[in-house]
This record gives sequence, structure tokens and C-alpha cells, in this order.
Amino acid sequence: MNPLAAFCETTPALCAPEKWAIFLRPEIWEFLGRGLLITLRIALVAALASLFFGTLFALARSSGLRFLSLPATAYVEAFRALPVLFLIFFTFFAAARARLGLSAIDAATLALILYTTAVSAEIIRAGILSVDRGQREAARSLGLTYWGMMRYVVLPQAFRRIVPPQVGQLITLVKDTSLVGVLGINELAESGKLIYTSYFNPIQALLVVALIYFAINFTLSRLSRRLEAVPAERRRQREPALAPHTLPT
Amino acid sequence: MIALLVRSLPVLLEGLWVTFQLSLLAFALALTLGTIGATFRTVPFAPLNWIGTAYVEFFRNTPLLVQMFFAFFALPSLGITLPGFVAGFLALGVYTGAFMTEAIRAGVLAVSRGHIEAARSLGLSYFQTLRWIVLPQAFAITVPPVGNLTSAMVRNSSVASAIAVPELLYQARVLESRTFATYPIFITTGLLYLCLTIPIGWGVNWLERRLGRYRAS
Repeated sequence: MNPLAAFCETTPALCAPEKWAIFLRPEIWEFLGRGLLITLRIALVAALASLFFGTLFALARSSGLRFLSLPATAYVEAFRALPVLFLIFFTFFAAARARLGLSAIDAATLALILYTTAVSAEIIRAGILSVDRGQREAARSLGLTYWGMMRYVVLPQAFRRIVPPQVGQLITLVKDTSLVGVLGINELAESGKLIYTSYFNPIQALLVVALIYFAINFTLSRLSRRLEAVPAERRRQREPALAPHTLPT
Repeated sequence: MIALLVRSLPVLLEGLWVTFQLSLLAFALALTLGTIGATFRTVPFAPLNWIGTAYVEFFRNTPLLVQMFFAFFALPSLGITLPGFVAGFLALGVYTGAFMTEAIRAGVLAVSRGHIEAARSLGLSYFQTLRWIVLPQAFAITVPPVGNLTSAMVRNSSVASAIAVPELLYQARVLESRTFATYPIFITTGLLYLCLTIPIGWGVNWLERRLGRYRAS
């Protein structure tokens, strides 16, 4: 007996051909594909919006102007420390109470933006702080304004360095989109749930769904490792091995 | 509104207690799996490396919700029926353990070989080297990421409400659907979550400062 057959002997529920058979039907894949599209659309919109707002919050927090940095800090610290699922429910119910006319997808996307903006702001701020002081001083002494310095000197370097953590956050975001299913949105995870509640094959349906998420996120993480390797190479050529202020005094 | 909060608070606190228990058990499981996983990934034996890598990559790259559904809805067809709380803490612990594995591995690998060689050539025994050179540095490097993961894990425990574990968010939703007092209930719930997660952040910062002196560089 081959090992697979022996394994199936012990766990018939996993191997039962009739439980896998529905995945031979194209309409099941069309259904999952539609769910996947919703997942990807929510993740993409939330990622782009969070990058934009996250940059604003990071700039506000590192501006040194108290009336900007205090509210930005409060926002970031509070929203980073709250569960995403909590924010999804709260946004959904609050939007319904306020009669904003937001659909469930809009409310869920807004919740993901609220959370990811806070995380993104912290990542971008760390990127800004990692740019050597000397770069800022040089930019200012060359006559650039504060915004000119940020726009042309600090942010381009910061953004290159934060690619790996931002991709990591994108992976988290793709996983977090599975939570919006609780509002009855048929994204990928919810589609899987609908399949197994109709065909009574939770093992098979959840494994298929998990593998689709895995394919997306594993690709993203490999991509980020690639992107990380290139700038590190360039940086090594540009920057001296030891920055002056780390020399023993 | 005050009366409503007075009536709701005991229910929410009950939920907070379940969240706390869920997190504590999952933390113990995650730390254990993380230590085992990091050992698997660092020993010079390829099959164990593969198992460690497969564990980390699979569980890190799939949603916790799907893992929790698997533990609660799919395992019964394999003959393993778990109560919601157990399925919840197992899924949460296994998921977080994959992240812990990477954090602990990074700490162990970050201790420079030169330090170990220097300690041994100064006449320290293997255990003295481990006790005074390797572990303090590895611990100092591992504490901040493990702390952040723990805070994330407490927040992720809210996902267990999807399999009807009566934790904080679940209780909040039940109360909301009964009273329609969205704002008071959800704002209180949010504050209760902050009461758990913000002190963890402080604790991590404090430990980071205290252990800072063990850091090389």
C-alpha cells in the first residue's frame, strides 16, 4: 500500500473523493474567483489610502509642531492598539446609526483604512527618523525649505527603506480582509464558508481557501525580500561603512 | 445612559476576563511553539529546518479567521470536536507561534560568534557562556518583538468572537443588538481593549530600556 493510501485509510474525512469533487466544477472556481476579486479590491483600496494618510500622519508627527503632532500621536497610538474586528463592527454600526448610507463593503474598507493608516504612519515615521541628520542639515544649508527638504531629500530615502515593513503590513491587510466576511460580504473566506455550508466539506473548502491566501501572501513576501536586496546593495555603495557619529569619542 | 453603562459593565468585564484567559493560554502555547520552531529552524539538520520553515510560512501567510474556522468547523469531521474556547486559543496560539518562531530565531542568530569564541577563550565554560553572554543578548533582542506580538495577539483574540467564544467583542455585539446603544457600548469596549494592550506596550518599553545595556554595538 502506498503511503498516501495508508494516510487516507486513517483519515477518510480528509481524502473522501466526493468531498473534493466539487472543486472540479468551473462554477465553484468562478464563485471563489469573485470572492477573491472582492478581497483584492478591498485590500488595494485600503493599502493605497493608508499609504497616503499614513504619510500625512507621519509628517504631522515628526513636524515638531505640537498642534499637529499631538493629535497625530493620539490617533496613531489609539488605533494601533485596537482590534481590527472591533473597528469593523464599530464603523459598520456607527455608519448605520448616523445614516451615512455607507454599504457594508464601504464601512469595512473604512475600518481597515483607519487601522492600517495608524500602522503605516508608524512605519513611515521610523523611515523618516532613519534618514541621517546630516542629510537634513545639508538640505537646509543648501537653502531648501522644510517642505523641499522633506519632499526631495528625506521622503525619497525613507520610502526606499520602508518597503519591507510596508509589504509586511500589506500581507497583514490581505489577511485582515477575511474579517469583513462577518458583515456578510462575500469575499474569499466567506465564499469558502458558503461552499462548505452547502456541500458539508469544511476541511476541503477551508484548505483550498487557505492555499489561495497563501499563494498571494507568499508571493508578496518573496517579492519584498527581492526589493529589500536591491536598495541595500545601492546603499552600501553610497554610504560609508561607519557613520561619523558612531565612532568612539 | 449611566444606568445602561452600569448594567452593561459587568457583562463587558466578564468578556474582558475571557479575553484575558484566551490571551494568556495562547501566549503560553505561542511561546512554546516559538521556542520549538526556532530550535527546528536553527539546528543543523535539514528535515527539521524544512518542518520549521513550512510551519512558519503556512501559518503566517493565511488568515487567523480561516485557521479558527478550521479548528472549530473542520476538525470535528476528523473526529476532533473542540469547544469554542479551546479551538480559539489553539488557533490563536498556533498562529502567533509562527511569528514567535521568527522573532526568537532572529534573537539567537543575532548573537555574534565572536562573542561566544571570546568568552570561551577567556576560560568561561559552555554554560557560563550561555548564561552570561548568549542568553542576555538574545533575550534583549527578542523582548521587543515578542512584546509587540503579544499585544497583537490580545487584539487578535477578538477573532474568536466569530466562533461564538464569549470574549469582550462578542459580549459587546450581544449588548449592542439588545440595547442599540452603539456608541456607549463600543467606546467602553474600545477603552477596555486599550486597558489590556497599552500596559503591554509600556511593559515592553520598560524591559527594552532595562535590557538595553546587554545589547551589543
